[in-house]
Amino acid sequence: MAARAEATVPAWQRGRVASWLVTTDHKRIGILYITTSLVFLVLSGLMALVMRLQLAQADADIVGPERYNELVTIHGTSMVFLVGVPILAGFANFLVPLMIGASDVAFPRLNALSYWFFLFGGSVLMLSFFADGGAADTGWTAYAPLSIQAPGNGQDLWILSLHLLTVSTVAGAVNFIVTIHNMRTRGMTWTRMPLFVWSILLFGWLIMAVMPVLSAALTMLLLDRGISIGPVDVQTDFFNPEDGGSAVLYQHAFWFFGHPEVYIIVLPAFGMISEVLPVFARKPIFGYKAIVASTVAIGFFSMLVWAHHMFTIGLPFSLQAFFMISSMVIAVPTGIKIFNWLATLWRGNLSFETPMLFALGFLSLFVIGGLTGIYLAAFPIDWQVHDSYFVVAHFHYTLLGGVVFAIFAGLFYWWPKMFGRMLDEKLGKWQFWLLFVGFNVAFMPQHFVGLEGMPRRVYTYANEEWEGYNLASTIGSWIMAIAILLFAINVLKTRASGRRVGNDPWQADTLEWYTTSPPPPHNFDDVPYVTSARPLYDLRRRLREQRGEREPA
Amino acid sequence: MAAVAVSSLLAQFAPVAPESPNAEGIRDSWLFISIFVFAIFVLVESLLIAFVWKYRRQKRGRFADAAQVHGATKLELAWTAGPVVVLFLIAAFVFIELPGIKDVPDAAAGEEQLEIKVSGRQFYWEYEYPNGVIAVDTMQAPVGVPVRLEVSAPDADVIHSWWIPSLGGKIDAIPGTTNETWFQAETEGTYSGQCAELCGLEHARMLASVEVVSQDEFDAWLAERADDPAELGQEEWEGVCAKCHGMNGEGGIGPRIAGSPTLTDAEALGNLVHNGRGAMPAVGAGWTDEQIRALVSYLTENPPSGS
Ligand SMILES: [Cu+2]
Repeated sequence: MAARAEATVPAWQRGRVASWLVTTDHKRIGILYITTSLVFLVLSGLMALVMRLQLAQADADIVGPERYNELVTIHGTSMVFLVGVPILAGFANFLVPLMIGASDVAFPRLNALSYWFFLFGGSVLMLSFFADGGAADTGWTAYAPLSIQAPGNGQDLWILSLHLLTVSTVAGAVNFIVTIHNMRTRGMTWTRMPLFVWSILLFGWLIMAVMPVLSAALTMLLLDRGISIGPVDVQTDFFNPEDGGSAVLYQHAFWFFGHPEVYIIVLPAFGMISEVLPVFARKPIFGYKAIVASTVAIGFFSMLVWAHHMFTIGLPFSLQAFFMISSMVIAVPTGIKIFNWLATLWRGNLSFETPMLFALGFLSLFVIGGLTGIYLAAFPIDWQVHDSYFVVAHFHYTLLGGVVFAIFAGLFYWWPKMFGRMLDEKLGKWQFWLLFVGFNVAFMPQHFVGLEGMPRRVYTYANEEWEGYNLASTIGSWIMAIAILLFAINVLKTRASGRRVGNDPWQADTLEWYTTSPPPPHNFDDVPYVTSARPLYDLRRRLREQRGEREPA
Repeated sequence: MAAVAVSSLLAQFAPVAPESPNAEGIRDSWLFISIFVFAIFVLVESLLIAFVWKYRRQKRGRFADAAQVHGATKLELAWTAGPVVVLFLIAAFVFIELPGIKDVPDAAAGEEQLEIKVSGRQFYWEYEYPNGVIAVDTMQAPVGVPVRLEVSAPDADVIHSWWIPSLGGKIDAIPGTTNETWFQAETEGTYSGQCAELCGLEHARMLASVEVVSQDEFDAWLAERADDPAELGQEEWEGVCAKCHGMNGEGGIGPRIAGSPTLTDAEALGNLVHNGRGAMPAVGAGWTDEQIRALVSYLTENPPSGS
């Protein structure tokens, strides 16, 4: 199979760059996804640094309101659409076929298409800073009618970018779903599937369920802004109250997509944590079936909570009560996960290499983001703290303290599989501690300043009592910047002189560690018959038995 | 020392000191939830730290198997049922507090409720009192009287959000709809807040404050404003024009306007603020002749210096 594929590759496609441009190998596409997302992570992080400089002092004048609002918009949009979703799609691309013992995804060419749409959409968003009137400046939520009235082309390019990204994401989701349903190796039943693969299955189904709603909302927004098709001008009023439209309708459509989007990002991060913790605790995951059930439950309920983002629009109280209860219901499966992860550590043989540090950091920070979510779900309290810096702190604890820490756990854990070399442990540990400290210095104070009345998305503030909190946030943001810089140095250093490793440097449990590091184009020469959720653990035990060795002490 | 610092920080982990019954109900709900939030926080983080310490590798082999425990159904049931009970208690408490937060209290004997129309506009707050008096950004209200706010935005404007933290939660000002909220300030003083929904370039400068005074002072103020709109002119200049054009008309995100003849020409100025021009929105759409005259007469007497 592999030999045949190589023989038909034309000469021009074998070049160092060309081979990446034409690749349909899920591993290479995964690496492209991850690399591109990391570049966008750095760009959107730089935007945050500029915003934090502006906010370090009251009445500062580093960037004006136009530029600030553009930064706030593109930082948020990019972190969600160009970092969160695609980096996890990247991990899924690289890992899902390996974890289920397949040779590639179901539709390799579609997979390549979805990457190139992602790069295209991301470039449109970043380049929109140079558009007439600058980039979009109405927030990542782009509420109508502000976004209808926004002058210039920035908002139109924002819509175009998101349309492209939606196509990319849906194509990717179809691929993952079909791959997972149809291409699992012999013996891999649903209850023997790695938890990361389970999370990607839900990631796929959620995308299929909610992305089309975003596309529809974006198209209506575009038409409301007005387009010309040849000589015909089209200008609708879906969301324009001036001519009978409903401003709130946009919010319903956006958040019907927007809240599940949070779980589209968080579930795969959960999945990575469920892979890392057992390997560094030398135990099976505690409560495999409970974690699977909680993943499915979170996916389902995430589609019933959207209006908790809209408690201040004047919804009938009965609806607010419904959305409060549905939001609280999600806390239950989330709690189940956290307790099962804790129980996985219980009686373990814990070893603290960098992936484990990031996984434990994730656990300690995500809990805080989850708990502050309980306040926000209680709608009368949300009336008080909605759209304040308290909310900014809350979602950064879940998405940065949570997801980004999980992503680094994943990067340090699977790096040797992707590239055959181990990232530097010393630099990794420095990066972890700097990121952990910097993160808390930056975001813990934002809870307090939000409670004191500082709204989000303001380019300046006059209240000098807020200065201390804001200065701390700014200092924290720069500590985090140093941590990210250390990661970049680590990558370069590892490329040049990183320690080479064998197939399975962590003595892990799942199939990706059965093949070589990095894996060959066709992934496996043979795949062992899967007899449990830990095929490699079973294999090691059988080998020991054959050799008559005892359990390692 | 550290304990004092921690406890004072914990005390700050709650909405600002309430000055109105609805803000108080919100804060009480918050404090009730905090009991559980802190308990769970301490439980999870201390288990995490304890396990990390107790089950660290020490002298065991790096890859030595630990206890091969796959799960425990009873534990799963416990940590499913436990949170359900906690969340039930929280929801019950919130529903008990809810009427005191959302319902405007009945007026005390002999006193009327006051009703004020609040209009969120790019980038100022316009208030209309029952006798037709208009004010900008700074609201006057009598102490101890329930004040009902009808919050909206002009059809051609965008969404804003009314928020004075010590007087209760926020409510959005949405074009095409009218929402309602209320407060009943318990002590005299000035309570400040600001627009909480991104509404455009000067969203950050869309401040609001409520000056709570005695009933007599309030009545006097209302009567005076009905007679003499000079103060309104100043509020309009500072709240509507100066946020973009500078306090002295020296220019900001909008162009310099000091010395412009339009400022003192009621017809030209009326035309400009009613309809907007170029990048400038129709900041005064719907303004009455009286509102325009107030601005013109203020600017005639106090021409902006330009620096
Ligand atoms: Cu506003």
